[in-house]
Amino acid sequence: MTRDHRPASDFRQARQPARRPPLTRDQVRGFWFLSPLFGFIGLFILIPVLGTIADSLFRDIVYLPVRFVFLENFRALWADPSFWSAVRFSALFVLVSVPLEVLLGLGIALVLNEPFALRGWVRACILIPWAIPAAVAGRIFQLVYNFSYGAANYLLDLLSISREPLNWLGSDLSAFIAVVVADAWQTTPFAAIILLAGLAAIPEDLYGQAKVDQAGMVARFRHITLPLLKPVLIVTLLFRTIQALRIFDIIFVLTGGGPGGATESLSMLAYRHFAAGDFGYGSAASVVLFLMAVVAAIAYVRVGRFQET
Amino acid sequence: MNERQVKKLLVYLGAAATLLFCLGPFVYMLLTGLATEPDFLRPAKAFIPTWDHYHSVLFSETVHFVRYLINSIAISGISAVVSVFIAALGAYALTRLNIPGGRPILLIVLGISMFPPVSLISYLYKLMSALGWMNTYPALILPYIAWTLPLSLWIMVSYLEQVPQELDKAGLVDGCSRLKILVRIILPVAAPGLFATLLLAFIYAFNEFLIALMLTTDQAARTIPVGIALFEGLHGQVAWGEIMAAATVTTIPVVLLTLLFQRRIIQGLTRGAVKA
Repeated sequence: MTRDHRPASDFRQARQPARRPPLTRDQVRGFWFLSPLFGFIGLFILIPVLGTIADSLFRDIVYLPVRFVFLENFRALWADPSFWSAVRFSALFVLVSVPLEVLLGLGIALVLNEPFALRGWVRACILIPWAIPAAVAGRIFQLVYNFSYGAANYLLDLLSISREPLNWLGSDLSAFIAVVVADAWQTTPFAAIILLAGLAAIPEDLYGQAKVDQAGMVARFRHITLPLLKPVLIVTLLFRTIQALRIFDIIFVLTGGGPGGATESLSMLAYRHFAAGDFGYGSAASVVLFLMAVVAAIAYVRVGRFQET
Repeated sequence: MNERQVKKLLVYLGAAATLLFCLGPFVYMLLTGLATEPDFLRPAKAFIPTWDHYHSVLFSETVHFVRYLINSIAISGISAVVSVFIAALGAYALTRLNIPGGRPILLIVLGISMFPPVSLISYLYKLMSALGWMNTYPALILPYIAWTLPLSLWIMVSYLEQVPQELDKAGLVDGCSRLKILVRIILPVAAPGLFATLLLAFIYAFNEFLIALMLTTDQAARTIPVGIALFEGLHGQVAWGEIMAAATVTTIPVVLLTLLFQRRIIQGLTRGAVKA
């Protein structure tokens, strides 16, 4: 058994934080200035999230009496094949779409970081998919994947990949690809813009020195660009992972979760139960999603810290 | 070919591919909205332009696209203005008033912005039902203000940090209150930043889908993304022409704003992220 031999007065000092000086008038005013912010976020984000967490412990079905059931909803989720299908979809979607989008975004950012004619125009154009509501993007891609006259099958034919039209939204794999492509169109610009800002922040003279040292294009990218871009890259990956985990809009419109639930994300699953009036079960599903997002965020922050030291 | 030429070639190829990738589906939307039939890509079919779809989207009584658009603009506009003002107050406190725990507050707000929206909607649904506000503007405006606040706060902080503190001191010497200093001195100096934040908050609210889907039931408050998502043709088959015409009418203002103010938007978007 370890014993601490410090005198009691030391304990008191260690436990009690140093007394803060009383707040200045400015600080009091500062808290007033912050109060509407705290109020709105508290009332319309924090309390709803806490309410959802609490509700996941209740049997809360519309028209039925509400009853505390503790972890019953989670047990039911565990036994629900559509829950595991949604978890698998969400995980696969993150694993495929996030690296794809960040790589594409990095490519676009590298191009836009070079001076060339009309660069301003190209940079403006990449904002277009970002500015379009995801639900509208879903509609556009629904038409793109239309079996009899959509642009996707037209391209397959034009590029002589396949004469036979493909029923894009009809099979599990092609529907998954369809969702990944549509989402990549919508969200790659965001990744590109953030990465471009990161690239622009790398001092130019580092490259000049490398050129003197006769480092080639690829070597310069590997030894200068990539290490210096790492923090921004991690932030981009974090943002994209969180957004990809909670994907809803595009799937709701494009596939409705189909075919046969193959593209149903966790958000979709939760919404489906809310819409059917089962708030407890839907809440339990959103709590799982919430926890996945928290784990992802912590993992990235860890990686980020680890790189710094 | 030497390395310079290779690089140049790569850059131009990359730029062309980027343009094709980003503009392709957008142009497809524009064309379908203007085509008599959506099957103009099929062999032996031709593109026959028409304004019919625009006409029915803008003037038909049975589809409510114009109403949805008005709802969207009003709801997002009000949300963005309030959100940016609240964020400006908060950012002023965090950058000048020496708030204890200022940095943690910013990080907590950032963390809150990562909550999935699906974890809010059931509670918001119950709240708005209990208040009798379902399918009204406040039912969306209040959550949207909260929803856009983390973004607004981060961008406002990054802009207000750059306004010299001497301006505040000058204001204090003149006997202005802190609120007056913010509104009369700091915000006018930070006007470009204020504008960028306003624009971004507007676009975020305008594009929001899930909360609007959950809290609206018809044209009284339904927003345009939900309207377009739920629109089914009047005659059984999907009315692609109308949908794409409506999508064009919706996205053109946002796209124009984005193109006009792209520098500001990019600046606003990246400030928070690169700093974090």
